[in-house]
Amino acid sequence: METPLYVGIDLGTTNSAAAVFDGERVSVIRNAQGATVTPSVVRLDKQGRVTVGTRARRFVEQDPANTAAEFKRLMGTEKAIEFPAAGVTRKPEELSAEVLKALRQDITDQLGVSIERAVISVPALFELPQSSATSEAARLAGFARVELLQEPIASALAAGWRADGDGAGTWLVFDLGGGTFDASLLETRDGLLRVVGHDGDNFLGGRDFDWTITEHLASRLSVVPRRNNPDHSSALRALRLAAEDAKIELSRGDKAQVTLAQPLSIDGQDVDVDLELTRAMVESLCAPLVDRALDVCMRLLTANGLAPGRMGKIVLVGGPTVMPMVRQRVAARLEAPIAEGHDPMTLVAQGAALYAATAGLDGRAQSVSVPAGRQVWLQYPAVSSDLTPHVVGKFVGDNPPAKVKLVRNDGAWSSTEATVGPDGTFLTSVTLLPRRACTFSIEARAAGGEVVAVTPPQLTIVQGLTIGDPPLSRTLGVALANGHVQVYLERGAPLPARRTFTHHTVETVAKGSSESILRIPIVQGEMSQADLCRLVGTLDIGGDKIKDTVPTGSAIEVTIELDRGGRLAARALIPAIGQMFEHVAHLLVPDAAPEALDAALRDLRRQLMDLRGDAFRHGLGHVIEKLDRLEARMSEAERDIDAAHGGDADAAQRARRALLDIDGTMADADLAKKWPELDNEARRVAISASSTVGMHGTDAERSLLQEVLASMEKARKDKDAAELERQMRLASRLSGAAFNRTSEAWELYFEDAASEVSRCTDLPKANKLVSEGKAAMDRGDTAELRRVVKGLWQLLPEDSEARKKAYDSGVR
Amino acid sequence: MHELKLEDNPFFVLGIATEASRIEIEREAQKLLGMLELGFVDSQTYQTPLGPRPRTAELVRAAVAALRDPYRRLVAELWARHAPPPRAAEPPPPAPSTGRPGLRRRLGWGR
Repeated sequence: METPLYVGIDLGTTNSAAAVFDGERVSVIRNAQGATVTPSVVRLDKQGRVTVGTRARRFVEQDPANTAAEFKRLMGTEKAIEFPAAGVTRKPEELSAEVLKALRQDITDQLGVSIERAVISVPALFELPQSSATSEAARLAGFARVELLQEPIASALAAGWRADGDGAGTWLVFDLGGGTFDASLLETRDGLLRVVGHDGDNFLGGRDFDWTITEHLASRLSVVPRRNNPDHSSALRALRLAAEDAKIELSRGDKAQVTLAQPLSIDGQDVDVDLELTRAMVESLCAPLVDRALDVCMRLLTANGLAPGRMGKIVLVGGPTVMPMVRQRVAARLEAPIAEGHDPMTLVAQGAALYAATAGLDGRAQSVSVPAGRQVWLQYPAVSSDLTPHVVGKFVGDNPPAKVKLVRNDGAWSSTEATVGPDGTFLTSVTLLPRRACTFSIEARAAGGEVVAVTPPQLTIVQGLTIGDPPLSRTLGVALANGHVQVYLERGAPLPARRTFTHHTVETVAKGSSESILRIPIVQGEMSQADLCRLVGTLDIGGDKIKDTVPTGSAIEVTIELDRGGRLAARALIPAIGQMFEHVAHLLVPDAAPEALDAALRDLRRQLMDLRGDAFRHGLGHVIEKLDRLEARMSEAERDIDAAHGGDADAAQRARRALLDIDGTMADADLAKKWPELDNEARRVAISASSTVGMHGTDAERSLLQEVLASMEKARKDKDAAELERQMRLASRLSGAAFNRTSEAWELYFEDAASEVSRCTDLPKANKLVSEGKAAMDRGDTAELRRVVKGLWQLLPEDSEARKKAYDSGVR
Repeated sequence: MHELKLEDNPFFVLGIATEASRIEIEREAQKLLGMLELGFVDSQTYQTPLGPRPRTAELVRAAVAALRDPYRRLVAELWARHAPPPRAAEPPPPAPSTGRPGLRRRLGWGR
């Protein structure tokens, strides 16, 4: 059996890279030009021939109409990119597929093996439609299976893997990519890598450096090109390419000459470009952007109780970090040494390859071979930080062998003989060599002692750093008709994850009616109110799709599933009619028309003014600070909207995301506006929870409530509305758990529900339940009373306003 | 906050002691995930003070993730230590009546 080969791909905004891991060594793949990075640029000529990478990048200036770059930012949108010479359009994922095909071919050319499986990195804050488009690109490129991995985790894994001898400690990954900035605080202990915390700026990257330099160069021309004028876009594009080259040149030298062979055509005039740029000038232009990234790092350190200077090292990732000024500023402000020996341009691809090993995703095309000998299914970690991991197996078919032994191929170790159970199962453990790939032969014997041939005959385990399952970045749940959210998977839940809850329909879905739709909205966000969370998909069950009418109050079992890369799948089972529905309408990232962006910005500005007035009236200093930061972000968004008016689709998407982000923060500030009410509510919850848990809670509930109350007090002191709301929810849940154990709780709930019986959707059923409840109360039958109360709750109608806010949810 | 549900306490899900080291936790989780994948009968339930519960790969992964976080591990330890002993599937037979009530306590049974 050949050694597995694990493949990782960094599908970047500006550049892409591929790496492979053979169990002991990570190698970066070189392309046909011998470079380790391939520009993410695709060109289609008039014959429809596709060129990718460096050769395509040469045409960005000469033939921009038929050459596409930075399409990663448009992934998940419906935006079609036109190639007029060939007379065709391509979706962003089709262009990404071309880049992936080129990288896949480079691996085959260099290693002589065909690759079908790989890990592809995606930005930490990619939305679900963008992840979905990335998987589609991989499928189009001919990959049979891919897993997606967040970029900061990939770079952390690569940096940690090579940290031989550095031992345990806390360290930071400073990842300044083409379009985004990510800071990850990590801890390595006992061979396990843990992401302690993560922060970032989705709107800060090398691209901003390039635009800052471009705008500076433009301001020095005799006729100044403007980003909001579509007629100037060609001149600006040429200038930006020159700015990018000059920036790279200034990483090594002190001066660079920006000279264009052809004059730029601006407003009908020929404008010559021959400008000198110095390193000092570029550094002073870009310093505020680096400081912005450093502010994010300081925020991350503070949130985790760390002061600068308490980290072992900083690992730099991404093209812009090659600039000496970036390295100096980062080391000085964070008071920690920069780790040497990492290639910032390929670290993400290397981490993705290492992760492919952790996920057991062998990249090679699988050969179809007839199994020779008894087939055994094996479960073991492909990479293990533990030196003595378990191996679990099961023989297929009847009459399995009696004993199994694993022998390490260096001949220096073998396991004791494990007994195979009558069902063919066995459990044993192996001893690994540190930082090595160890292969073990599987030796099986029948009860009589004769050797039994086994397929597969051996297995390989790599000893090294492992990382826990990737955590979910935002809480995921279902919006309920009462305007609340049923949380399915909490932020930080390890992926892959799956959870099922039973809901009940709030209205009848009539068989055969296409008008009648049961909607299950899937939302992401940290707030308990559905309208403050973002809708990421819907599961619609139309009356024309069901076998029978589904009456109000019918049970519906909803399962939400996320894979390691954050891809969403959902299904709903209606047991009453025995039908399963699986089609989730994934939302596309909406189009960002400049006029719509203008209107959204105007609305947000108006809201900001209102919030600022309220914050001043209530003396909420921290809210005012937050609003100041939002105002700065709005000015940046305004610049992008200007560029969007000039035809820059990428800037339009960037502005759209920025406005969504601002809207989310504003909702948070809006919560703070209601501070006095929230503060009073918190006191009430604290008193009520203390009394209930004190009387009816267990010892553990009392201890935990003490912690929750302390956190509530801290949130009140910090005037942190979102955190206070979260802690109040926990206190209420503890209190509810303790109270619901008592019989009086259900008597109280019953009386309350029975008093509203006239509002119930099914009156005869509700009256019957009330009679049953009264009888249960007389008998002192709490279990029955509980059933009755839950039944009555199902029949009470939801407020139509709340339902509208909950994206027309049809379930409770 | 799955820890709020006593029966989902990570220490019960993994069937390990609250003193388990980080590497022991990882090793046990890896073993259980393998056993669950191959359908080992022994791995499919775990004992809790509220009786046996079905064990799933999701629960095991969530348990190990919780125990990697020092704060969440502390909370889980607190709950597991305060919890009554696991309850078997069937109610235990009534304790034999002995003439010496202190004997069982001296032998470490009951309180």
